[in-house]
Amino acid sequence: MKFAAKTLSLSLSTLALACSASLAHAEDIKIGVSGPFTGGSSSMGVSMRDGVRLATAEINKAGGVLGKQIVLVERDDEAKNERGVQIAQELINKEKVAATVGYINTGVALASQRFYQEAKIPVMNNVATGSAITHQFDNQPENYIFRNAAHDSIQAPMIVEEAITRRGYKKVAILADSTNYGQLGRADLVKALELKGVKAVAEEKFNIKDVDMTPQLLKAKEAGAEAILTYAIGPELAQIANGMTKLGWKVPMIGSWTLSMANFIDNAGPGGEGARMPQTFIQEPTTPKRQSFIINYLKTFNPKNARIDSPVSAAQGYDSVYLLAAAIKQAGSTDGPKIKAALEDLKTPVEGVVTTYTKPFTKADHDAITANIPVFGEVKGQRVVYAYEADFKKASEVRVKDVNAKGALVIKK
Amino acid sequence: MQILTQLVFSGIALGMIYAVIAFGYQLTFATSDTLNFGQGDALMLGAMVGLSLVGLGVNYWLMIPIVCVFGALQGAFVERIGVRPAIKIKSEFGWIMSTIALGIIFKNVAENLWGRDDLKFPSPLPEAPLHFLGANVLPMEILVIVGAVGMMLAVEFFNRKTIYGKAVVATFNDRDAAKLMGINTGLVITFSYALSSMSAAFAGVLIAPLTLTGATMGAVLGLKAFAVAIIGGLTSGMGIILGGIILGVAETTTGFYLSTGYKDVPGLVLLLIVLAVKPAGLFGKSAIKKV
Repeated sequence: MKFAAKTLSLSLSTLALACSASLAHAEDIKIGVSGPFTGGSSSMGVSMRDGVRLATAEINKAGGVLGKQIVLVERDDEAKNERGVQIAQELINKEKVAATVGYINTGVALASQRFYQEAKIPVMNNVATGSAITHQFDNQPENYIFRNAAHDSIQAPMIVEEAITRRGYKKVAILADSTNYGQLGRADLVKALELKGVKAVAEEKFNIKDVDMTPQLLKAKEAGAEAILTYAIGPELAQIANGMTKLGWKVPMIGSWTLSMANFIDNAGPGGEGARMPQTFIQEPTTPKRQSFIINYLKTFNPKNARIDSPVSAAQGYDSVYLLAAAIKQAGSTDGPKIKAALEDLKTPVEGVVTTYTKPFTKADHDAITANIPVFGEVKGQRVVYAYEADFKKASEVRVKDVNAKGALVIKK
Repeated sequence: MQILTQLVFSGIALGMIYAVIAFGYQLTFATSDTLNFGQGDALMLGAMVGLSLVGLGVNYWLMIPIVCVFGALQGAFVERIGVRPAIKIKSEFGWIMSTIALGIIFKNVAENLWGRDDLKFPSPLPEAPLHFLGANVLPMEILVIVGAVGMMLAVEFFNRKTIYGKAVVATFNDRDAAKLMGINTGLVITFSYALSSMSAAFAGVLIAPLTLTGATMGAVLGLKAFAVAIIGGLTSGMGIILGGIILGVAETTTGFYLSTGYKDVPGLVLLLIVLAVKPAGLFGKSAIKKV
């Protein structure tokens, strides 16, 4: 059995490797994958890529799309805007991809996707959360940018709802890093708090690679904060947790979905336990689809301690390929405008890991995830589990897109 | 008051992290008037090698001497490849570029060997804070302070009391005269680089449990340490310690009393003031160059 599992994983990974090689036949469908596979956000990038590989291998095994095999063209954008731009141009002009999936970093997505927009090639953002991503080309008649990740205007109100309403904290402090991600998220948190009539008692900033969080935490502590709301990435979040341990001051951390990153959980250790964040997917086999996804992922990529580094990224990466495949099938073509038209009007529901996508996109709405879909995850025993028993019990009922779901911030254009 | 104590303690701990790295700059400057701008990367290599050894099951304290030997070899390599050719042709600036270049190469090698993610370095001491005068201090921070003071004493003792140290001082004062006196100045310089990288590697394993370990950890820390070396003076061991304390406390108190967005500013303003008013550093001896 073990041997069989190993050969299967071997054959799957060779399949994935073969996919990324340039042995592509002329009649193959090329799909670009752009994400940071090295660096501080690599745990998200690599999990996303592995989810994409898994879905592609499954689709190809079942005969591909339109009788053609999907070939992935993977590129490491290193979370750098300029690399992302180079890759976009390469994928469009040299590789001539039918579509691209990926982007972990909002900045990279915003810098790169205008090339796809100009070339009329669809982009499926599967991880980046910046609210502006799907609205970058609102002023143009056609928009080629789609997303199946929970955007910040959903996440910030969820964080505030959890802290203020559900857990009843009156005084909260915001700690965000000085990047675009952190500062845009901080602004969203402030807006969401305002709607509840609450003002943060402290709003503090820190830089990437800061090693000491004492002043930020002391300010929050002095202001009497009962909880800390965060918008940052793994390593610095871990320094916040470690700083709290050092000061002997422990209040709950509630923050954006990055609190589920493996490099936060590992580096924070016991200090990270209890942190809560919105998640579109939690590594629990709550539906048959999720179960088979988790089993296949673990078998193929064999992550440490049977824990997917970033389950959300892996699941969304996986779903993004199925969404595209469904659109290509419906369009009967790999022509960009036709794929886009099909995405905006998907006739058959796509059963994914996160949700079942029934009409996920319309011409005006390019975000597949609405405020009713994410649940709260909590770090417990070095993994992310459901924060609420009730959510876990009801997890087998797939939450589907509800365009009337309340709780998202209205984006001003 | 309690807040201030905590800020000062955290500032001192932070400053000592900078100081242990800054010693490396001083050691090479003391012999050859050159600096190893790859100091941050030497630090990172030390921490990464240490982490790998700990991962293999080597005890933290046993690992330190091995890392020191590694650091010494790495430093000697940098001097032979990057600095000696520049000194030989009396190039004023060649060593700047070559040490930076070697630093980048080391960083890239480390990225390929260990990946670019930040890793946790298991702490050899308990991670629960100690209470001291109403403020909290981590045992590891105390170890860093002890390490920094220990390094200062070792360097001062070496330079003042031993015959080899006198050779180092002589080489610094006048390289040609030292040579005529029978001191192998080339060897002294190589030795100082080895010592410098050794101290960086040691600093790396000392601070890694506090800072997270990764291929990019050296960049910001190396720069801050450089500021400490300039503020304190490149020729004074005492200056490094005080420079570290000044920069660290400036960062934490500004962060708290002014704004966390500006916490790096006062330290760097201080750096500019020191450069303008007392270029040799607060505690450095200003040497008059005769031309």
